[in-house]
Amino acid sequence: MSANIEPNTGTADSLRSNASVPKIWRYALQKGLQYVVWIWLVGLIIIFSILNPFFFSTSNLQNVLVQATVLGLLGLAQSLVLLVGEIDLSVAANAGISSALGALAIQHLGMPSFVGAAIGLAVATLIGLVNGLCVTRLRMVSLIESLGMMIMLQGGLLAITQGNTITDLPNAYTWIGKATLDGWPVMPIMLLAGFAAMGVMLQRTVLGRSLYATGGNAATAFVAGIRVHQIKIIAFTLSGFVAGLAGYLLGAWQMAITSDQGEGFLLYAIAAPIIGGVSVFGGRGGTLGILGGVLLLTVIHVGLAIIYVPSFYVTMIGGILIFIAVAVDAIRVNAIGGL
Amino acid sequence: MGMPGGVPILFREVSVAPGPLLETRNVIKRFTGVIALKGVSFAVETGTIHGLLGENGAGKSTLVKIIAGMQAPTEGEILLDGTPVVAFDVKAMEGHGVFLVTQEPAVVNELSVAENLMLGRWPRRGVWVDSRRMYDLATQFLEGTGLDPRASAGVLSAVDRRKLNILRALHSGGRLIILDEPTTALTTADRRALFDFMRRLKANGVTFLFISHYNEEILEICDSVSVLRDGVLVVGGQAVSALDSEALSTMVLGRGLELFHRARGAAPAPEEPAWRFLDIRGRGLVIDRLDIRPGEIVGFAGLPGSGAQETGRALYGLLPVSGTIAFGTQTFRIPTDPATALKRGIAYLSDDRLKDGIITIESIRNNIVLSSLSSVSVAGFLRPARERSVVERFFEMLAIKARSPDQAVAALSGGNQQKVCLSRLLATGPKLLILNEPTRGIDVGVKEEVHRIVDRLARSGVAVIIVTSDLDEMLRTVDRVILFVDGRPVGDRAAASLTKDEILREAFSTRPGHTVRKFELEAGAKPA
Repeated sequence: MSANIEPNTGTADSLRSNASVPKIWRYALQKGLQYVVWIWLVGLIIIFSILNPFFFSTSNLQNVLVQATVLGLLGLAQSLVLLVGEIDLSVAANAGISSALGALAIQHLGMPSFVGAAIGLAVATLIGLVNGLCVTRLRMVSLIESLGMMIMLQGGLLAITQGNTITDLPNAYTWIGKATLDGWPVMPIMLLAGFAAMGVMLQRTVLGRSLYATGGNAATAFVAGIRVHQIKIIAFTLSGFVAGLAGYLLGAWQMAITSDQGEGFLLYAIAAPIIGGVSVFGGRGGTLGILGGVLLLTVIHVGLAIIYVPSFYVTMIGGILIFIAVAVDAIRVNAIGGL
Repeated sequence: MGMPGGVPILFREVSVAPGPLLETRNVIKRFTGVIALKGVSFAVETGTIHGLLGENGAGKSTLVKIIAGMQAPTEGEILLDGTPVVAFDVKAMEGHGVFLVTQEPAVVNELSVAENLMLGRWPRRGVWVDSRRMYDLATQFLEGTGLDPRASAGVLSAVDRRKLNILRALHSGGRLIILDEPTTALTTADRRALFDFMRRLKANGVTFLFISHYNEEILEICDSVSVLRDGVLVVGGQAVSALDSEALSTMVLGRGLELFHRARGAAPAPEEPAWRFLDIRGRGLVIDRLDIRPGEIVGFAGLPGSGAQETGRALYGLLPVSGTIAFGTQTFRIPTDPATALKRGIAYLSDDRLKDGIITIESIRNNIVLSSLSSVSVAGFLRPARERSVVERFFEMLAIKARSPDQAVAALSGGNQQKVCLSRLLATGPKLLILNEPTRGIDVGVKEEVHRIVDRLARSGVAVIIVTSDLDEMLRTVDRVILFVDGRPVGDRAAASLTKDEILREAFSTRPGHTVRKFELEAGAKPA
């Protein structure tokens, strides 16, 4: 409990003070701040394009979208769990080990590619389910539970690959990483499909409402007749499935699975949704924001490389930009009272 | 540390110089375009308990914020001991001895009572806290308060936590203590203890500004009262001795408050199938049989822990108990969770809205349909048109005051939040409604509105259980009162033939065993 004597959130008075600001401005401010991540994104694209016009070429923008695909799906996987007020540090490691198991099934057991990919997805989904069961049934704290799971999965991946990189994946497995439709790569289609499905699920389904309610106030959701544990298990399980999909796409795109596959994605997969307005306390956030966060991080990543920032500085500058983005978001939440 | 005459320092009577401790002169507070306070002038005399009343939005909280230094007035002056305040700043006001104690007691559970008492200002020796001195000082200061300086604050009761907050303010040099609804979530006995404590401090010269929604409390504890209505001070410092509850309501509302009284004798024919609760055991409950007919409003009365609250919660699946429910042709086990209860047509209103009644960060719309998502969807997909019609129906039926159903619930007043909560229950089409403290923390005006809504529901054939500690209210709004003692229903009488004193006497005096029968015999009622 806080030791501060907090100001009474005198709602009636604050309501009055708000109501007096011209409605249209308030609306514009709210909407503008709500999509502040998109304003950022456009600004950075313009700056990078000025610094190097190649940035704005079709082929480079396609590259940005391809690069954003894996991060985007991992960001969705993380968001599903963040929305119910939990966190899952094992999404990236899950993507790595599940795809490796699928690939090994193809290489060592002679399974067809699609079966291998399906095995990967099944393993990832199962890992998500285990996370969900641990957090709800055993009441483990998700931060630590998923940290343990992450280390186990990373170690497991190292063990089954014996430190080697899995290569020589069949063409049928890697097809999707290179395929194009009418000159457009297929990977981003997966990204957009993933976001579209998530958007419909969150906005238009009972499950989506239940996820928000569970994260918004789990006690109320329970009393209101939502089976909160069940919803959390579904969130973790779906998250595992989406992480598995990201893992498969990463393997297919890279045409290889390293012994630390996916690891570098974890922190960005957490940062992207938060930059996009998903609350770490649950109950808040939407698909458009998450997509904006994912694209913003990818643009920073690709843009810094394209304007020839020496590689020693790329990570630092990227970090500073992320830091600023999160600070702006914090200001947004304070400014509009977290609406 | 010798105490002169052995009287604890806190409770030594002092003679106070007459005159106002606090005075506001023509205080105006303007927010862009809206005037929240329109020239408020009133005075609080030293060593008195001064009540501050007003509906939500009347300007009470703005005035309190200004007095506590959280906001500066647009115009006008605040005087303390006749000297105008120049800096509006919480620390500066605390320096003058003005302390605001909010509804949520701010106590650090992990620390001891003494550590909380001197929070942040512990006696030190170098970088270390001088524990011995701290406990010596605290022991001396807390004498006669009933608080153990070495006890962990985490184990304190609700009333002791409030006392501790007041004491902390006093220990920091507080002279004017502003109490913002300090009795929320306190039991009747706790309330009495808190009031005794306040009276003893008052005798020592401490001044209180007391904010409450409850007329009875104002009448019981305050010396004088000021009333705000729409930013205007309509009554300033009137002596309470000449007032009654009705007069207070009239002053607050600006019109006579028409108290709702349920018309009795309108109960439906007895052949209608009743809700029957059988053989409930567990969590201290021992209930063999309770019957409630559709259209009936039944009040559950009893002291905390007597089983009144617990039975209400258990019937909704919030407490693990065994037992069966029979309704019409169906017989089923007591629900094990709220989702099951809702499927059986049982709905429950929580006594703590913010904890588990509403989701404040979500919209009114989402809150209203939260318990009836399956009825506004097909195969898991929401049907926006259906959802809209449900939301609009209850938004209008309960007259929720908001710009639109898309507004976040956090921005609503307590009364309107309660209406949103009720809407959520009603949207499920319940056949049995369990209302736990349905009028807690809401305006007098909205209270009566809630009672009328519940009455209308009962007339449409819903069976209603009301659990409340407000007996006056219970007696005029229910048909029948069931009194609980030690987990058992011990009396069952028509509300029309009962008085508050009778209930209280029996609740306190009845012990299980031989005395149980006494109430039943005296009451002439059949055993429940």
